[in-house]
Amino acid sequence: MDIFHIYLPIAGIEFNALLLVLIGFCVGVLGGFFGVGGGWIVTPALNIFGFQMAFAIGTDLSNIFGQTLGAVKKHQKMGNIDWKLGLISIATSIVGLEIGSEVILALEKAGEVGMIVRWCYMLLLWGLGSYMLHDYLRMRPKESQENAVEQTQASDSKSRNGHPRISERLHRINIPPMISFPSSGIEGVSIWIILLVFLFTGFLSGFLGVGGGFIIMPALVYLIGLPTAVAVGTSLVTVLFSGAYGCFTYALKGRVELTAAMILLVGSAIGVQIGATAVKYIRGYGIRLLFAVMILLAGCSIAIEQVYKLTGIAAYSATAGIVIMGTALCMVLIIIVRMWLQARRGRDIQL
Amino acid sequence: MSTKKMFALLFLSFLFISVPTISAAAGGGEKETAALNQKVDTSKLTGINRWVAEMYNGDRVLYAIVVTLVMAALGTSLAFLTDLILKSLGLEVSRISHRE
Repeated sequence: MDIFHIYLPIAGIEFNALLLVLIGFCVGVLGGFFGVGGGWIVTPALNIFGFQMAFAIGTDLSNIFGQTLGAVKKHQKMGNIDWKLGLISIATSIVGLEIGSEVILALEKAGEVGMIVRWCYMLLLWGLGSYMLHDYLRMRPKESQENAVEQTQASDSKSRNGHPRISERLHRINIPPMISFPSSGIEGVSIWIILLVFLFTGFLSGFLGVGGGFIIMPALVYLIGLPTAVAVGTSLVTVLFSGAYGCFTYALKGRVELTAAMILLVGSAIGVQIGATAVKYIRGYGIRLLFAVMILLAGCSIAIEQVYKLTGIAAYSATAGIVIMGTALCMVLIIIVRMWLQARRGRDIQL
Repeated sequence: MSTKKMFALLFLSFLFISVPTISAAAGGGEKETAALNQKVDTSKLTGINRWVAEMYNGDRVLYAIVVTLVMAALGTSLAFLTDLILKSLGLEVSRISHRE
């Protein structure tokens, strides 16, 4: 395997190029399929395998930018992007992000900020994952394929037990000006609701120090009421912007290892096309189920990392890395195998 | 206020916030200055590695622009090639109906 070891001049370390391509491929598939950047997988992975944290973040952001360009193009082709909503999301999230980072600075002055952030991160992942799993189990289509369309129409307006969804309740708040999003099938919603939602997701991004794809995608589905595939595509618009900005600013600070980023991109650019294509073959609720399982396991990984911080036993940190990488690898295998099987049968997946 | 005006206002607010942030990233703070001053030893490097390292040492703004452009160009080209391969495997995509 030595032939794959290359010297990375900017980071000043040797690294296995094959491993970089593999990491890139995994995160690419997940990025294209879930509408996330995947920084929560790549950054710790690079860090575990020898990158300094600042280089791991900068190189990852550069990769996110490159891979998301292809994903956005593909989702655009499938009609999965609401540009109007995506651009509002970018502009508003920035404000929220600044507020979130200010809160972090204030907490830093007060004391142990790392611990608080990790607890919040865990609670968010587990809370969100549990809600999505609960929602999936409650709403899972039980009717036969013949009346699947009817069932979907019913589930679009009200949940199975007759209670309106959160997004429906929010749509009923009529505070002018109202705005419509025809690409997403949203006829009229108060712009203040939209701004508040993105302010909140931006705040969480700034507070937790993450790109925000995994927060924005479910927010678009559950708070704004977008179909899952459109939420995935629209979330990628925000990820693309944060990736481009992060790539430039980290390179300016000298914290992007260009060679590593290019090799990562070889894997992720291929992976992201596969992930985005898989959206065509998997129903919205199937995407949500896989997403819920993934973030629940990501929460477990952070919990194990938390134990490491408290005890200092290195085995916990390694276990946390294995859990997150194992989860990513399993998800990638599930997505590719199901897509391939369904493509051969020529119909959508029932998950 | 019309939707278009609201849209324009949002983008102006975004520019007001992002431009100073980018400026700060370029020149602000002691830590940033230390990072900007980091140099790579190019004496043992050859070929592309040497070229990249010299650019990194010489002009950080140029390095940032090159990194951004290279990632965009490589990402787009690889996406195009992968798309062609997927199409040949029968995994072509077109506009989809959004079923939950």
